[in-house]
Amino acid sequence: MEPRREAGGRTCFRRLAAVRLSISYRMHFRYSEAVSESQNEVRVRPRSDERQQVLSYRLSSLPELSVLSVIDYWGTCVEHLGIRTPHTELELLAEAAVETEPSPAMEVAPAPQSLADEDFRSEHYEYLAPSMHVCWEPGDAVAGLAEVAVADAVSVPEMVTGVVAEVRSALRYQQGSTDIGVTLPELLAGGAGVCQDFAHLAAGMLRSTGVPTRYVSGYLFALDEAAPDAGDADSLDGAPEDAVSVQTHAWIEAAIPGWGWWALDPTNGGEVGERHVVIGCGRDYGDVPPVRGVFAGSGTSEVVSEVVIGRQADDGPENPASASARPRPVRVVPQNANRRDQQSAQQQ
Amino acid sequence: MADVNGNGLSGSPSMLLDGYDASRVYDEVFDADGAVRGAYSRIVERFSELDAAELQRLGELVADEFRRQGITFTVYSEDEGTERIWPMDLFPRLIAAAEWEELARGLAQRVTALNCFLSDLYSGEAAVLADGLVPRWLAVSSRGFERNAVGITVPHGAHCNIAGIDVVRGASGRYQVLEDNLRNPSGISYVAENRAAMAKVCSWLFEDHTVQPTEQYGQMLRSTLESMAPGGADHARLVVLTPGIFNSAYFEHAFLARSMGVELVEGRDLVVEDHTVYSRTIEGLVKVDVIYRRIDDDFLDPVAFRPDSSLGVPGLLGALRAGTVTVCNALGNGVADDKAVYPYVPDLIRYYLGAEPIIDNVTTYTMWDEEQRAEALGRLHELVAKPVGESGGYGVLIGPHASEQELQAARAAITAEPREWIVQELVQLSTLPALAEDRLEPRHLDLRPFVLTAERTEVFPGGLTRVAMRRGSLIVNSSQGGGSKDTWVLAPESP
Repeated sequence: MEPRREAGGRTCFRRLAAVRLSISYRMHFRYSEAVSESQNEVRVRPRSDERQQVLSYRLSSLPELSVLSVIDYWGTCVEHLGIRTPHTELELLAEAAVETEPSPAMEVAPAPQSLADEDFRSEHYEYLAPSMHVCWEPGDAVAGLAEVAVADAVSVPEMVTGVVAEVRSALRYQQGSTDIGVTLPELLAGGAGVCQDFAHLAAGMLRSTGVPTRYVSGYLFALDEAAPDAGDADSLDGAPEDAVSVQTHAWIEAAIPGWGWWALDPTNGGEVGERHVVIGCGRDYGDVPPVRGVFAGSGTSEVVSEVVIGRQADDGPENPASASARPRPVRVVPQNANRRDQQSAQQQ
Repeated sequence: MADVNGNGLSGSPSMLLDGYDASRVYDEVFDADGAVRGAYSRIVERFSELDAAELQRLGELVADEFRRQGITFTVYSEDEGTERIWPMDLFPRLIAAAEWEELARGLAQRVTALNCFLSDLYSGEAAVLADGLVPRWLAVSSRGFERNAVGITVPHGAHCNIAGIDVVRGASGRYQVLEDNLRNPSGISYVAENRAAMAKVCSWLFEDHTVQPTEQYGQMLRSTLESMAPGGADHARLVVLTPGIFNSAYFEHAFLARSMGVELVEGRDLVVEDHTVYSRTIEGLVKVDVIYRRIDDDFLDPVAFRPDSSLGVPGLLGALRAGTVTVCNALGNGVADDKAVYPYVPDLIRYYLGAEPIIDNVTTYTMWDEEQRAEALGRLHELVAKPVGESGGYGVLIGPHASEQELQAARAAITAEPREWIVQELVQLSTLPALAEDRLEPRHLDLRPFVLTAERTEVFPGGLTRVAMRRGSLIVNSSQGGGSKDTWVLAPESP
């Protein structure tokens, strides 16, 4: 194992081999006064699909709670946990090892007219209609911008890349620039957003032109989600050598007639590759929030959360001694959150 | 045979029935020639012995009875005092045994098919959509389609344990289904209270008939709900979950808990621990197996649904997913009583049961179908337009009673949002005599029977007869000024 990795590890990483990532997601709830109860659902477990395989996963909590794990309507793993004894803090830790592969290249170019097929539209109705966070109306600024973006497209993939490019010129990446309740027209007017805003805007514009588009929640192994290839010159493919502290990430998948779902990352304009780890997808953020919960108590709450992602050695999680694969503790990013914010925690 | 007063009615009608005109629509008491239909002969005789003053006096006794017991309903749309005494007209509605038997079979068939539909949708297979029977977009765009219900195990596949199916009789007298109510149908308490008041105030009316009783509803409901317990009916602990005293149907919630002999609780009385629901009692926490909830899906659990809801139980969805508790009716039934799905119900019966519907739908036009829409909008002045998301008669446009402006506004609204409307042929609802000042006049009515399902489907005999108290009005909802009648299903040995 070892010589092979030494000899060609990076090349494999870049070109063909699967990449193993270890992810640790820590959520620390703190309350100003003891709360008698809190109930939460979390959606942080990566899913297994054609492009990624979950090798191991564990959700633990302090105090220790029983976790109920089910697959929801969207195919996402949701874990329920509640606590009914007075507490001032609650810590959750999700640890996963995931093997990912590059996305297959887009090989088809169906004409835009193929989107009008009635069965195709009925099948993907949920990803064509406006949803809670992806709302537009015919003729509004969102639909207008989309129309411009796809004006010259002769195929559906070109429509998608046209919209993604338009989103990137309409929005500037700026941490903390928006809240979860922001509408698409407000986003356009403000001109700045975070990953979930890029994804929502791209979804809205694509849906308005008839391309079924879903919102993807996941993790991105990069120091800077807006420019993942920057800042690590040592790595051939731009991926960090060391574990990094990040937040959860969001991107989109568009339905291409006759092909399937095509993933693209509007925040950085790139295709979705080995460094993207999918948790799940839905119509928008509201279908796949990493954490949603309520607590009973009169105080305020704060959730401090952190995602640490690192590359894992090829011999994977079976070898816990593989020190380089261990996430390094990194500084925490505090975020104030009340009950409503608990729902929207963890997204930037 | 014409009577001496020349009003065309046979028998010996009293002053109360003078001028009673049964010729315009299907009257359930008198046929078009004015002859009394068989089942009603004794009732007509009895009422012939009364005069208006006596009938009014009896009516006041009933109203006093209801007032004393706090039997009221709430009207949300008016500014004035919203609590009203429940209105009941004394002239009962009778359903002959054979007629009821046929109707009950049709209702059971319909609810069975609707349960198959819900079970299919929420089991995750959704064969009905894959087979194209109901368009996928239509089902998933229903506000009642609850994605969180997918994958929750429902004992016996019985998603709708308590259904209220609104049936009407048009010009032919044939029963047709006007509307399905599969979420939180209310009205059963009024069925029982109407009967109790009638038995008290007009006991002599019952002497000539064997009427199927209504007091067993609580027992029937309790055994239905207990069969829904995840671990089986033995020792199942059942509660009724109400939004609280400000809800229009609170009276009914209290009635149901009392008649079943179980606890009436609010959300704050229940807690979830380790994905199990407990009731806070003076003896401490007691596990709950079945929740007969009378609150909407959106309010059931603030974690998964509306975070601002204080009506529900945090963590309840987790308990449902864990399979430790059953909520009745199940989550997500709104997709099956969405008025936009209603036109498909006869096909659902054929699809799931391989049988022809025993009771038909009212002819309905789907507005997202361009041809049907064009036809319906062209003759909207003859038809009825209903918003799919409303109930209680709100937002209904009755073409013949609408102004040109109202018709125009409806056409525009339908064209803008075709998914949001259905248009139906106007059913000239059947009539029955009801007291209007000093005489009995024909008044339009419908019937809401209640259908209970656990392992099997049973139809509760009778149901709530609602009657439009204004002459010519077709709106029977109590929220819109409707009244009610005691409904007698006659035992088979009766004539």
